[in-house]
Amino acid sequence: MTSRIPEEEFFELVAAGAEPGSAAVTAPTKLKSRIYSALMLRQAAGGPLASLTRTKAAGHALCVFEELVQIAPLGEQVKSLNFCRVCHARVAAEYWEKAPIYWPNCPYVKFQGR
Amino acid sequence: MEPSEELAAASAGDRDAQAEERKLVVAILQKDRKATAEFIARYTDPVYRYVRSRLVPRLDLVDDLVQEVFLAAWENLAAYRGDSPMGSWLLGIARHKVENYYRTRLRAPLPLEEASLKAPKVTMELDINELLDHRRLQEKAHSVLATLPETYRLALLWRYWEQRSAQQMATETGKTEKAIERLLARAREMFRERWKND
Repeated sequence: MTSRIPEEEFFELVAAGAEPGSAAVTAPTKLKSRIYSALMLRQAAGGPLASLTRTKAAGHALCVFEELVQIAPLGEQVKSLNFCRVCHARVAAEYWEKAPIYWPNCPYVKFQGR
Repeated sequence: MEPSEELAAASAGDRDAQAEERKLVVAILQKDRKATAEFIARYTDPVYRYVRSRLVPRLDLVDDLVQEVFLAAWENLAAYRGDSPMGSWLLGIARHKVENYYRTRLRAPLPLEEASLKAPKVTMELDINELLDHRRLQEKAHSVLATLPETYRLALLWRYWEQRSAQQMATETGKTEKAIERLLARAREMFRERWKND
């Protein structure tokens, strides 16, 4: 059985509402990782990041490497550097959809949904 | 729960969500790396879904455009007042980026062939089951769109999915309204043919 509807109405009907399969579509984890790295670079280019001490005081948990830097007897300026830039977790997460990184409180692990 | 109580609970929930978003924005502006990670984890999926649906089948362009959305958001975050939810604000930026893409692609010279600008009102013949099953209808429309030449596909997406008038599209692309209407007429005609054959 068929029905005829005006063409304009047809397009309006089809374009309205959710996209096909929209609930199932999620962004690739490596895209999230690349966006995070790009934003960190952009933020660091305009001056130091919030120091790890400040981040921890704000209630955020640090990853194992950040924790080591945070407890080290270093100045706040050093603790404000973009450490993720030199971390292997970043490289792995930017290139692998399921990167073999598992330690807690790392942003790149967070994007993997672990 | 009474409707009024439900409404009060909903607005309290909205207020909580807004307060949480404002807190997140302040932390990002202070360059807190964990807040930035939270921002990406929370909002990338909806932005990605939107951009992907508007650029299909050019999936090769999606990642770069989504990244551009977040970089633009960072550049403009200080101006975010929280009048609309963060998700809507980001989708506004994404929409702007998508329309920029449409604009650039459709600014190129269009074919000069005359098309049925004054064509009689056309109707689409639909299987009644298709009409009732909205998801199936959309899936078929997207698969047909994916087979169209790029200018036709973008013109239809811009006109119907982004709900821009032919006049607005003409202004944005520097073309005449008639040229855009001709393009849309040709695009609809090809869409109709492929829909029937699908």
